[in-house]
Amino acid sequence: MTIRRFALYALSATLAAAAIATVPLVAHHSSAPFYDATKSAEAQGPVTKLLIRNPHSFLYFESDVNGKKVEWQVELGAAASLTRTGWTTDTLKPGTIVKVVGQPSRAEGSFGMCCAKVTRPDGSPIQPGGRVTEEQQPPR
Amino acid sequence: MTNLTAWLEGTALATWVREDPSIWAYPTILTLHTVGLGIVVGASAVVDLRLLGYGRKLRVGALAPLFPIMAWAFALNTLSGILLFIADAVHKSGQWIFYVKLLSIFAALWVTFATRRIVLDHANLSAPDVVPANGTRLALWSAVLWCVAITAGRLMAYIGVP
Repeated sequence: MTIRRFALYALSATLAAAAIATVPLVAHHSSAPFYDATKSAEAQGPVTKLLIRNPHSFLYFESDVNGKKVEWQVELGAAASLTRTGWTTDTLKPGTIVKVVGQPSRAEGSFGMCCAKVTRPDGSPIQPGGRVTEEQQPPR
Repeated sequence: MTNLTAWLEGTALATWVREDPSIWAYPTILTLHTVGLGIVVGASAVVDLRLLGYGRKLRVGALAPLFPIMAWAFALNTLSGILLFIADAVHKSGQWIFYVKLLSIFAALWVTFATRRIVLDHANLSAPDVVPANGTRLALWSAVLWCVAITAGRLMAYIGVP
């Protein structure tokens, strides 16, 4: 086999694999070590920042817990996943009031959530008609 | 510094790499970065092992064609690495482990050039097939530095996040 033919085969195999793997994977690995799926946390307050990043993005917002102001850290999916959901730094600007329901972090004394449903306080989607979680398949 | 990285991160190209749902954006670039790494370090490992005395049936000079392949793969990784960096420039430029990765890559490159010199010196296959004393040392340094670079790169996903 010549080196050119070998390179051609290797490239074709890579492209074929990439084309097959178009299924979006939100939960590509378990969140169980860090978040407790048997519990649910809910909080509401103004967004402080949205970090859009790979492999995981983070949404921060403030709320009162037992009379104390805390900053929640919500672990989200990949940047492209947020794009599909319609959660951007424009739609989740600092100060936007959000209601977040998710699985609480297992770390003692921390305020983290994952696998969250993010909505406006009345339960409506952030984007009118948009999605409230990342888990749904994107429209095809 | 933050101005520059924030600007980089805000460019259309960086936004496309980071946020576009296309499989050809972030997923493909990250995959190419991994494939390029495999080729550079894999080929380098073959040379290092030979210099350390493994596979003596293979003459040292016979490894010369590996270096252009390493160079192409390194070019691929420079390009994909720049794209991955600008997609998250503010954060990555603030990670100390990122500088560990860069420094070890530069050091490994320097070692690779020195190793290449030894291999090319053996290109005349009729010459004695003896590894000079510093060949062993260079091979060990190369292995260590690439391991550090790979580990530091992987740790960028875990140290100082978010």
